[in-house]
Amino acid sequence: MSGWIALSNITVRFGALTAVDAVSLDVDKGEIHAVVGENGAGKSTIMNVLFGLLVPDEGTIAIGGTPHAWKTPQDAIAHGIGMVHQHFMLQDSMTVLENVVLCAEPVNRLGIVDFATARAKLEDIIATYGIRSRLDARVADLSVSERQVVEILKVLYREAEVLILDEPTAVLTPQETRSLFEILANFKAAGKAIVIITHKLDEVMEVADTVSVMRGGRLVSSGPREATSKDEIARGIIGGDLPAPRARGPYAPGAPVLKVTDLVARGEGRPVGPVSLEVRKGEIVGVAAVAGNGQAELIETIVGLRRSAGGTVSLDGQDLAGKDVAARRALGLSYIPTDRQRVGLALEARVSENALIGREMESRFRRGLFQIGSQIDAFAREVIARYRIKVAGPRAKTSSMSGGNKQKLVVGRELSRETPLVIAENPTWGVDIGAIDFIHGELVRMRDAGHAILLVSTEIDEILALSDRIVVMFEGRITGSFAASDADRFEIGALMTSHGSGGIQTRDAS
Amino acid sequence: MIALDVLLDPALLQSIPRFLTPILLAALGGALCERAGVFNIGLEGFILTGAFCAVLGAFFFGSPVMGAISAMAGGVLMALIFAEFHLRRPGDPIVVSIAINLLAAGLTLYLLSAIFGVTGAFRDPGIQGFAMIHIPVVRDIPVIGQLFSGQSPLYYIALVVAVAMHFFFRFHRLGLRMRAAGENPQGLVVGGVDPRIVRLYALVACGMLCGLAGAQLSIANVTLFVDNMSAGRGWIAVVAVLLTRGNPLAVLGIALVFGFVDSLSFRVQGYGAPQQFTDMMPYLATLAVLIGLSFWRKTRQTRA
Repeated sequence: MSGWIALSNITVRFGALTAVDAVSLDVDKGEIHAVVGENGAGKSTIMNVLFGLLVPDEGTIAIGGTPHAWKTPQDAIAHGIGMVHQHFMLQDSMTVLENVVLCAEPVNRLGIVDFATARAKLEDIIATYGIRSRLDARVADLSVSERQVVEILKVLYREAEVLILDEPTAVLTPQETRSLFEILANFKAAGKAIVIITHKLDEVMEVADTVSVMRGGRLVSSGPREATSKDEIARGIIGGDLPAPRARGPYAPGAPVLKVTDLVARGEGRPVGPVSLEVRKGEIVGVAAVAGNGQAELIETIVGLRRSAGGTVSLDGQDLAGKDVAARRALGLSYIPTDRQRVGLALEARVSENALIGREMESRFRRGLFQIGSQIDAFAREVIARYRIKVAGPRAKTSSMSGGNKQKLVVGRELSRETPLVIAENPTWGVDIGAIDFIHGELVRMRDAGHAILLVSTEIDEILALSDRIVVMFEGRITGSFAASDADRFEIGALMTSHGSGGIQTRDAS
Repeated sequence: MIALDVLLDPALLQSIPRFLTPILLAALGGALCERAGVFNIGLEGFILTGAFCAVLGAFFFGSPVMGAISAMAGGVLMALIFAEFHLRRPGDPIVVSIAINLLAAGLTLYLLSAIFGVTGAFRDPGIQGFAMIHIPVVRDIPVIGQLFSGQSPLYYIALVVAVAMHFFFRFHRLGLRMRAAGENPQGLVVGGVDPRIVRLYALVACGMLCGLAGAQLSIANVTLFVDNMSAGRGWIAVVAVLLTRGNPLAVLGIALVFGFVDSLSFRVQGYGAPQQFTDMMPYLATLAVLIGLSFWRKTRQTRA
């Protein structure tokens, strides 16, 4: 039998790569359908087919029994399909109202937009589904979750019957996730079909009616949630048994390595801080914050990419004031940046050149003014082997690697320096489960070996899984600080979105 | 009090619009490109083509309106060349702009001798220029009368376009889409709109406005075409666009400053200032505005 929407035998090829291989998927009205799988499993690709962003090489799409072949998103939108993209497609300088009507403007004969009609229609939608949004606010002034609501309003405004959400909770706190799910439940009750692409299995078990698992471009399984279990889904995703829980050594912090005192960072608008924190030998300190709450500025200031506006940073007792990035790295700091595409790697360069960054002046790679290619390649091969990077070879172009392997290259380059301090900023952002597990393992190994690790992540789960101590930031300040054993994800979530009650929450064990 | 005399000189006020209009029209065209995400520094070439085509039309059809129409057609032609190489093919906009500017300079020179058999300049009583529009009542009001009466029709068109463009960006479907094409074009793609089409509209409209800017030079301010008639006005328009980030009302303000300084430099010459100095004045004003603006932005940033 086939559902209201029936994708049959969809195949998408990118050159020699088959991204989606003969996948058939049914989605019904009034259900929440979760599509899970690792990065590169093909889940976003097949949703882009459904939304008309990609034309499949083979296969058909049918809605209510009628076959369709769309060439552009406009065709899909016209047939009631809407998509909330992982990276929001909003115009920051425009208001919520302007963003919602963009590309679907109600106009008179002269092309003048009838904002009054649009506003009335939107207010109707907002009331119907219990959504909160400020229509006249500029998107630039909105939080991430408010922006997501704008994307959802866009879809609803176009009278979509099918909502596709690509990793909708990746950027949300637990509270925000909960309110998103409440809205989705209202859509479901109104008879809409909802497809969520996600990799968070707890959420799948909480909201999904149907679960489809994809791996390597194929559909592994598809069926009602009640008929499956979290373990079974996880096995389907990775195609084998789950890795054993990670063993880690006892928590025995040593002397402080990084000491940040009353640091004020120059922000885009207002300054960030003052912030004080300390990372000791043999511990992982996790900074939990929603994107855009000053953690990026803080890290950039510590690393030396941004000038400080007050306070001190010291590494192994040495004041870093006035030292540039190279000097700080030479003193024993490694940095895994969030943005591997622009900060972490030179995409047009070879893998070996990226592996070498920062070591160009080491004598083993140089002969006079020249670099020794064979030595550099040998070193790159070492990094590739040790960090299990999948790539054609040291001379391959960096841009040819997948996101997960690019990240492994950055992680490998930085960790192989074996510095006393490692700063890891969203180290597993956009990386598949296998690579996440590997990167987490490496960070814990470093900690056990006595390195100090400062981890910044927007994923609470990552913070909880790795940290010995947890610091929460909101609007440029530290709003809470816990020993990991005392941490509660909802309390952290609350602190990530408000100043808490009565000043800073502290429950440090030490 | 020579300074005050100079400033309130009716002849000075009367001449501001003739200096202001070409820069304003071209900068408004540039503003459309800027907002739509097309980095167009080929305005100079667009204007020069417009100035030549205006003379062509006004001479062969014997009407200034036909001159203006053919000026727009010339500007649009250049815009389409720009679009072909920048929108349909992945040409770098700076390279394409430079090519357009060089092409316009060479082509007008060549056509001048090919069509009219002259070099350097073409003047002929057969070129029908625009008559100035005198508005009753208004023309008798001091200052206002000089600024708003007795001017070329293109001046009034420019003022109307500046104000209309302000509302266009806020309330018109295409205006909204142009802003999106300049800010986050991927947002249009997922909405089913091709940003390149939106940019094509911006370029074509820019070609028309720059064409009119050229017409103001060759069949309103004077009725003749001389080699390299645009004389850097396209570059001043580019500066006006970049300074204002394509805000049409701010473009109007800047065009006013330039128009004023331009006509002032003309006047000051009459008081015996060396021409080399007065020729410099519009560019000094550009520099002054640039420095002032960057200073203002800096202080605003630190206060925030």
